[in-house]
Amino acid sequence: MPSVGTLAFDEFGRPVLILKGQESKKRLFGIEAHKSHILAGKAVADTLKTSLGPRGMDKCMVSPDGDITITNDGATILSMMHVENEIGKLLVQLSKSQDDEIGDGTTGVVVLAGALLEHAEALLDKGIHPIRIADGYELAAKVALEHLDKIAETYPLDLKKLDPLINTAMTTLGSKIINRCQRQMAEIAVNAIMNVADMERRDVNFELIKVQGKVGGRLEDTLLVKGVVVDKTFSHPQMPKEVRDAKIAILTCPFEPPKPKTKHKLDITNVEDYKKLREYEKEKFTEMIKAIKDSGANLVICQWGFDDEANHLLLSHELPAVRWVGGPEIELIAIATGGRIVPRFQELTAEKLGFAGHIRELDFGTTSEHMLCIEQCKKSNTCTIFVRGGNKMVVEEAKRALHDALCVVRNLVRDNRIVYGGGACEISCAIEVAKEANKIPTIEQYAIRAFADALESVPLALAENSGYSPIKTLSDVKAQQIAQNNPRLGIDCLNTGTNDMKAQTVIETLIGKRQQISLATQLVRMILKIDDIRLPGEAEE
Amino acid sequence: MQPMIIILKDGTDSSQGKSQVLSNISACQAVTEAIRTTLGPRGMDKLIVDGRGKATISNDGATILKLLEIIHPAARTLVDIAKSQDAEVGDGTTSVVLLTGEILKNARTFIEDGMHPTIIIRAIRKATALATKKVKEIAVHIKMDNIKEQRALLEKCARTTLSSKLIARQRDFFSKMVVDSVLMLDELLPLNMIGMKKVTGGSLEESRLVAGVAFKKTFSYAGFEMQQKKYLKPKIALLNIELELKAERDNAEIRLDNVAEYQKIVDAEWSILYNKLEKLHASGVNVVLSKLPIGDVATQYFADRDMFCAGRVQEDDLRRTQKACGGAIITTIENLDDKVQQVFGTCELFEETQIGSERYNFFTGCPKAKTATMILRGGADQFIDEVERSLHDAIMIVRRAVKNDSIVAGGGAIEMALSRTLRDFSRTIPGKEQLIIAAYAKAFEVIPRQLCENAGFDATNILNKLRQKHAENNIWFGVDIMNEDVTDNFIAAVWEPAVVKINAITAASEAACLILSVDETIKVPKSSAEPSNAAKAMNMV
Repeated sequence: MPSVGTLAFDEFGRPVLILKGQESKKRLFGIEAHKSHILAGKAVADTLKTSLGPRGMDKCMVSPDGDITITNDGATILSMMHVENEIGKLLVQLSKSQDDEIGDGTTGVVVLAGALLEHAEALLDKGIHPIRIADGYELAAKVALEHLDKIAETYPLDLKKLDPLINTAMTTLGSKIINRCQRQMAEIAVNAIMNVADMERRDVNFELIKVQGKVGGRLEDTLLVKGVVVDKTFSHPQMPKEVRDAKIAILTCPFEPPKPKTKHKLDITNVEDYKKLREYEKEKFTEMIKAIKDSGANLVICQWGFDDEANHLLLSHELPAVRWVGGPEIELIAIATGGRIVPRFQELTAEKLGFAGHIRELDFGTTSEHMLCIEQCKKSNTCTIFVRGGNKMVVEEAKRALHDALCVVRNLVRDNRIVYGGGACEISCAIEVAKEANKIPTIEQYAIRAFADALESVPLALAENSGYSPIKTLSDVKAQQIAQNNPRLGIDCLNTGTNDMKAQTVIETLIGKRQQISLATQLVRMILKIDDIRLPGEAEE
Repeated sequence: MQPMIIILKDGTDSSQGKSQVLSNISACQAVTEAIRTTLGPRGMDKLIVDGRGKATISNDGATILKLLEIIHPAARTLVDIAKSQDAEVGDGTTSVVLLTGEILKNARTFIEDGMHPTIIIRAIRKATALATKKVKEIAVHIKMDNIKEQRALLEKCARTTLSSKLIARQRDFFSKMVVDSVLMLDELLPLNMIGMKKVTGGSLEESRLVAGVAFKKTFSYAGFEMQQKKYLKPKIALLNIELELKAERDNAEIRLDNVAEYQKIVDAEWSILYNKLEKLHASGVNVVLSKLPIGDVATQYFADRDMFCAGRVQEDDLRRTQKACGGAIITTIENLDDKVQQVFGTCELFEETQIGSERYNFFTGCPKAKTATMILRGGADQFIDEVERSLHDAIMIVRRAVKNDSIVAGGGAIEMALSRTLRDFSRTIPGKEQLIIAAYAKAFEVIPRQLCENAGFDATNILNKLRQKHAENNIWFGVDIMNEDVTDNFIAAVWEPAVVKINAITAASEAACLILSVDETIKVPKSSAEPSNAAKAMNMV
């Protein structure tokens, strides 16, 4: 069969070039292409498999600059692995989109996709058309999703009783490095979300929650500040370290004589003029200070810097000030304190001031670093989670873990249906899908059965990571599930003696699980549908 | 000895004669092979990585051919007809290329036997005219008076197109969406009034259609978060004005000789901006959108006055907003109050909503909603890109079908009908043309044959069944992909607009004629070769 990639010859036997750079282009076609995809997909999934579950291990990644990251968050691992293979890249995006949408379950989705691909390989060997496999997978996914809806339970969402929410957050945190203070972290996450959640619209604005980290102290020192923490200090060392009942002027104009934006030049020809200029500048400074004093502010937060003269004047007028506060922080402070951002001194009025009950400088041990903590704000629906930890890696990982926990709680606010984790819902779905498979008259039956097997890969990995004999544990649980008709039985990763996940309160959100299954299925369909890959040759690089 | 006369530039490649025609035909066939497997519901996708490492996964003939970077001059014709089919009707790009390839393949034997190309061309032209006439004759007209019926027709056409794409499983969902979006447009059905926004994450079913405009939150300055994010019946101003504090003229320079002037200049600059802002505020606008940046001062000004603003809005988004909400794009803020409000647009609801990890601005319930926006969700970038291409095809088909209400049955049915008609006709003419028209008739069978081959069916068997059915005047019998059999595709609702087929037939024939009529290729070497020649000359001296 003549095809592009092989050479075509004209009547004199000379090769005819049809494509640009044809000789150097690489091409994979047909079943070979499928095999190579599956291999790549499996390789990526295998990397992640060991980080699944509460007994999952972390990965250490060293970036080209020598930065070290230690994490067990699937999306982070994949994005830092710099996968080159095209199919691998698709899996990376898969975990990223799970991360964007749900925030948790990024490892699980990749493991599931990998397992689906692995089982597809066996079916391909049997000679089943790849699209029929994909069709079968989608049928199976539909069955699984319907079953999930059936076994899902509605969760009480009560602002007074946060315990259930905390339990869910704990499930997420259970697999992270910070599970030493699981409870505390979960409480922090839940409180933070509850602080900013808009219960009416069932929406949570993440921009109101800031996660700050600082190396030093212990993980237990992590705290939730109902307010804003800024990595800045007062501009003058002699300013007071603590302000109570602060009225804050939030400025985005520098403390210096105003300059026109148009290019300008001031010709000074004599001493008189020069003195005038000095006078003018001085006058401007006093004017500014006066404007602030008049508005009644007793604290100044400024986006820009001020020069020493202004600094001194502020000090002498007993106006503590903070300079070089970044744009997003200024905004957070403004929202928290109910103040308005003021772009010009002329516009400063008493109404535009923000209010905070307590502002203090935090200092850390013996280091000379300080941070500013703004608390008891007027509208305290912004909050900051301030993470402490022994080293940078732990702090970073704790931040990621908290992010996951926050996402999970947010998802519960949006949709308060849950399923049980620990592989319980996967096993239950697998049983259901396998049952359905027998009812399908066409070849898709095989694909559906393969889907059921693939679903079991999550509990298998969980059991394996927890040090059990995976197949034995899984078959035990499966037998129990069928015998007791109880979809809440999962893998007892922590060896607590019961494998009823309800008793263990291992809970996951329904939308997270649904998302995992549907995303993985769609991606696998896409991969299976490709039968031809063309890569540019090395020569072009 | 005769002196040698050089006519062409050194290095010019020229080849001619019969062998040249044959070599062109083989090149075209090689290209056809490359996209052969993408046809039909069981067609596969291609993954193509370009020189810059960007991967594209597609099943769309035109897209694939474009990315293959074909340099062979005759083969490029195929790329062009695929493109023209894409531009004209948007779908059927693969089949048009396949058809051309097959016509050429069948013509090849005649060329080899020494038949003159012009005779072949004449016969092909005749057959084409006949084929198009036949399509028009047997096409079924659907009454468009009934809106419900029209919808049903359009949805079926969209479904047929989508069935060969990645989103085949969700085709019911998407065909509704496509039809809805097209029906929202005005009579001219301008394609650019359907916006497609891609947000990774989420599953395909979470894609949605917005009757109105939606676009991603633009870059914002401090103060943005304090703006209100929801307005009922807002007054919308669309600007092409920069709202930033900046030098009004770039190359101007101001010379000052007096300190007192200084403040005046500064004030003057501020007042330019404030003037604009005040005018806008005074006109009672709630939402300000601008193509040009809106600076931090303006953002805070608007935030202070409960107005929403977004700067650097993409031009096409702005245009669509204008189309949807009415109003005009304002280039100066003078005379805002004079004209009686018609410069401003409005809509029922403006809202900013979180989709996945992105925030989107929605304008819904627009009074002149002749525009629609699709928000596509999916696991990976490539995935959504392909969905977008598929939907584009479907939209084009639906647009065509709205204007043109005659349809034919797909799945190879119409091709078989044409093939039979032409074969019958060929027997009525004496002379060489008989053979060619018969060959042309046979070429049509490539579509059902390829459909079978891609699905892994026994193509010969199915084709024979089809021929038999068509001989009994069952003109709508085509391949039944789902059950490996033949079926009446008109009843099975595999419908395509007749105009798509007519266009495909004409384009394919014309391309085939074009390629057949070329008997000499003169290829001028790249001009980059010239300096090397000059260098040689230099060396010789």
